[in-house]
Amino acid sequence: MRGVLADVLGLSQERVESFRADTPLFGALPELDSMAVAGVLTELEDRLGILIEDDEVDGEMLETFGQLVAFASAKAPA
Amino acid sequence: MIDHYDWPGGREAMLRFGPAQGPVVLVALPFWEEANRTRALVVAMLRRLADHGIGGALPDWPGTGESLVETEKATLLQWRQAHEAAADALGDRRSYGVSIRAGTLVDSFGPLSGRWHLAPMTGEAVLRDVIRLRAAAGLRGNEHGLFGAESPVRIAGNRVSPHFLAELAGAEPYDQPGVPRRVVRLGHDRAPADRTIDAVPPWRRAESQEDPELAATLAQDIAEWIASCEG
Repeated sequence: MRGVLADVLGLSQERVESFRADTPLFGALPELDSMAVAGVLTELEDRLGILIEDDEVDGEMLETFGQLVAFASAKAPA
Repeated sequence: MIDHYDWPGGREAMLRFGPAQGPVVLVALPFWEEANRTRALVVAMLRRLADHGIGGALPDWPGTGESLVETEKATLLQWRQAHEAAADALGDRRSYGVSIRAGTLVDSFGPLSGRWHLAPMTGEAVLRDVIRLRAAAGLRGNEHGLFGAESPVRIAGNRVSPHFLAELAGAEPYDQPGVPRRVVRLGHDRAPADRTIDAVPPWRRAESQEDPELAATLAQDIAEWIASCEG
């Protein structure tokens, strides 16, 4: 997940390493505009080999780093 | 050098690179914002291809770049006609299509000796990205996040005609028997490919970063592929 955010948002490795579960994302990271949200979701699909339905996408899953990780973990094949 | 080509609906700009003789590649960029994100890599790649003795042409499509056609009036059919006209404008040199992402849907009619496709995608995949983008825009309570509520549709700052979107349904990248085709993908893309290069796809980067190493790797790949086609 850190790799996805670093690649899509162009964030430094140090910056993404500092993310914790309660680090706010959507609305707090200026880099995370709608184009970037779409990019993060598509990159997650590619990397995890999953399909994310657009009606699963809501503000809540993007609220914090922890919520995004939890969403991706739930979708990823065991 | 800035050159031009004429297509049935007018005249568009075309950047030219490399030698005036020998093989030449005709580039079809991805759509909309992805074109902006990819252009610098493509220009660097075409400069490296020139070092290999291969020419390059990077045309604007109707409604993009310097074009006098309004963006919202452009159709996929026009882009395909423009691509064919640009290929014709290269004269009798051996021409190869180098198409990226949705650009592979534009590269349809041109009399080309082969196709080199970077991360080709179907029209369905483009539409899925559009819907996703609009869903993401809707998260902000953005008025343009509503589907079908406006026409033309605004996609990351580009006004796109509903016609254009309708033309994407069922569109597939060019792949015909007897015409050499090579597929290259980047990063974690798991779709079938002749080669997958470990690099961050520039079209997905919100903040563009130069990647001269990737430009050189792609130019090398294209040069070797063209050499094998000409063999």
